Amino acid sequence: MRKKRWVPWVLVGPALLVIVLTTIYPLLAALYFSFHKYNLRRPPQFAIQIGENGIHIDWSLLSLNNYTLAFSDSRFINSLQVTFWFTVISVALSVIIGLFIAVVVQKGGRLHTLTKVLLIFPFAVSPALKGYSWRFMLNENYGIYDLLIDQLIVRPINALLSIINALPIVEIPLISESIVWLGDKFWALFMLAMSETWGWAPLIALMFVGALGSIDEQIFEAARIDGANRLQIFFRVTLPLLRPVILIVTMLKTIFSLKMFDQVVTMTGGGPVRATQTINYYIHQIGFVRSLDIGYASAMSYILVVVLTICAALYVSLVLNRD
Amino acid sequence: MTANTIGQNQSSLRLTTLKVLETLALLLIIAFIVLPILWLAITAIKPQEKAYSTTLIFSPTLENFEIIFSDTSVIINKGTDRERGEVGRNMFPSVLNSIVVSGATILIAIPLATLAAYAFSRYSFLGNSVLLVWILTTQFIPAIVVAIPFFTLFRTIEVFGKPLLGTQLGLIIVNMSIVLPYAIWMIKGFVDALPGEIEEAAFVDGCNDFQILFFISLPLIRPGVLVASVFAFIMSWNEFLFALIIGREMRTMQVALMTTSGARGIMWEQMAAAGLVVMIPIFFLAMFIRKNVVDGLTMGAVK
Repeated sequence: MRKKRWVPWVLVGPALLVIVLTTIYPLLAALYFSFHKYNLRRPPQFAIQIGENGIHIDWSLLSLNNYTLAFSDSRFINSLQVTFWFTVISVALSVIIGLFIAVVVQKGGRLHTLTKVLLIFPFAVSPALKGYSWRFMLNENYGIYDLLIDQLIVRPINALLSIINALPIVEIPLISESIVWLGDKFWALFMLAMSETWGWAPLIALMFVGALGSIDEQIFEAARIDGANRLQIFFRVTLPLLRPVILIVTMLKTIFSLKMFDQVVTMTGGGPVRATQTINYYIHQIGFVRSLDIGYASAMSYILVVVLTICAALYVSLVLNRD
Repeated sequence: MTANTIGQNQSSLRLTTLKVLETLALLLIIAFIVLPILWLAITAIKPQEKAYSTTLIFSPTLENFEIIFSDTSVIINKGTDRERGEVGRNMFPSVLNSIVVSGATILIAIPLATLAAYAFSRYSFLGNSVLLVWILTTQFIPAIVVAIPFFTLFRTIEVFGKPLLGTQLGLIIVNMSIVLPYAIWMIKGFVDALPGEIEEAAFVDGCNDFQILFFISLPLIRPGVLVASVFAFIMSWNEFLFALIIGREMRTMQVALMTTSGARGIMWEQMAAAGLVVMIPIFFLAMFIRKNVVDGLTMGAVK
């Protein structure tokens, strides 16, 4: 309708400029740092030097050392593994529990509606606070989760096991009631993923509730008339119809999980023995806490950028191809 | 009894079982969601000697809130039977920091985002869809990559004789990288939903582009802009990585949570009280934009 070509650029310009300065600039700078020997304790020597005789590039200062260092650094490899497992566990739990919640709360009823309202609650809790509250609740001496897990899960299972053990067939060892959740390598990572799931499963449920609501009720009606039971309807009708949304949500959650940082600091501090040291946490340690090696931290974060770029490309193609 | 009524009884029994199972599932979900928040709230009003137990029998107190908003010396002199150790810093400056940083972040980001969103929605210009997708993908850049160069840059840039590192301004600048893209996408959604006829009519009546934007469209999308502002406020309020690396000793509330730990480990009753202070305002804001959170988080990808 309106033809003035320059108008949109005037409107978009300021925002675009700010985004470029706050995202493209650091991306380029970090890439540049990653090829240098750059420690905060010493003034850096950069390859591009601007002197009286113009710009001079000292190629000898550039190297791939930081990248080769990364792949021979067992702690970095460890952080890759930790991030991988954290992502797998937290994404799987968030999506599955989110789907479960969505299917349960989707219908009418007062309790359903109340639950739907509650789903927004974890969004109000910052990730840093989430980490602290889970750490507190998992404490082996006075944590409420520790108590509930022992009373409601471990004890009944043990009771069942002792009945089985009373029969002279097999001897199954009982589960310990004194597991220190955040002191055990596996459980610490698992609980870190659980805290992430607590924050995200309800939000993902909300996403699915929206998607479920947009499915034509007649489809379910038809399936029911054809004699399908609830489980059949879920697996044969609901799931296939939700597939595009599930894929998008899974990809999005994968990206958020790969970026996760806050709870590692407040919940586990990377421990025990680096069992929860994710990439972000390790980069932070190297760059800002321990060796203050900005060059190495930049190189490692660039490896993360590559991974996330692939995820972002997948995500965008999923979203664009949906319709 | 005929075979028919037996069948009916069976199916009604199955229906009841299903109902019971469903109710149980709902209760389980509610417990899963509410427990951490509830427990934090309970701990915050527990007297210190009861905080390190799972007991529910205690006389509620506001002592913990008094402690986190008083100075260290006062805490030690308070002298309960347990030695408190070196803990606590008055959290009031941190509350102010969080309010200033988050407030200024949206005051800068929202006007920029509104103009950009309007252009993306209403004009077709060279590369606008590519730009829009590119803006979306900036959200997949890990925050640590943004933090590293800004840390080194802000160490050397001085404003009023003080380096930008560890200042509110420094944190506000870096916050733009996460807030602006979300705000653009969110507001664009609201502009898209606005029928274009009104603007057409105004154009026919002789309004120019800017008159239409400021006098016709902006008033109409005000509710959407408000929602996006609240969302952006929550994002920067809850932001932790930048606050830790760039904000540093300036300390927003998220970082101040860490100061509740002292020589004897974390003082959980103080942590819980500080946690409530951090959470409660956001809680109400989140309820206010409840219907738009999903759209915001996914930038409209899941509808």
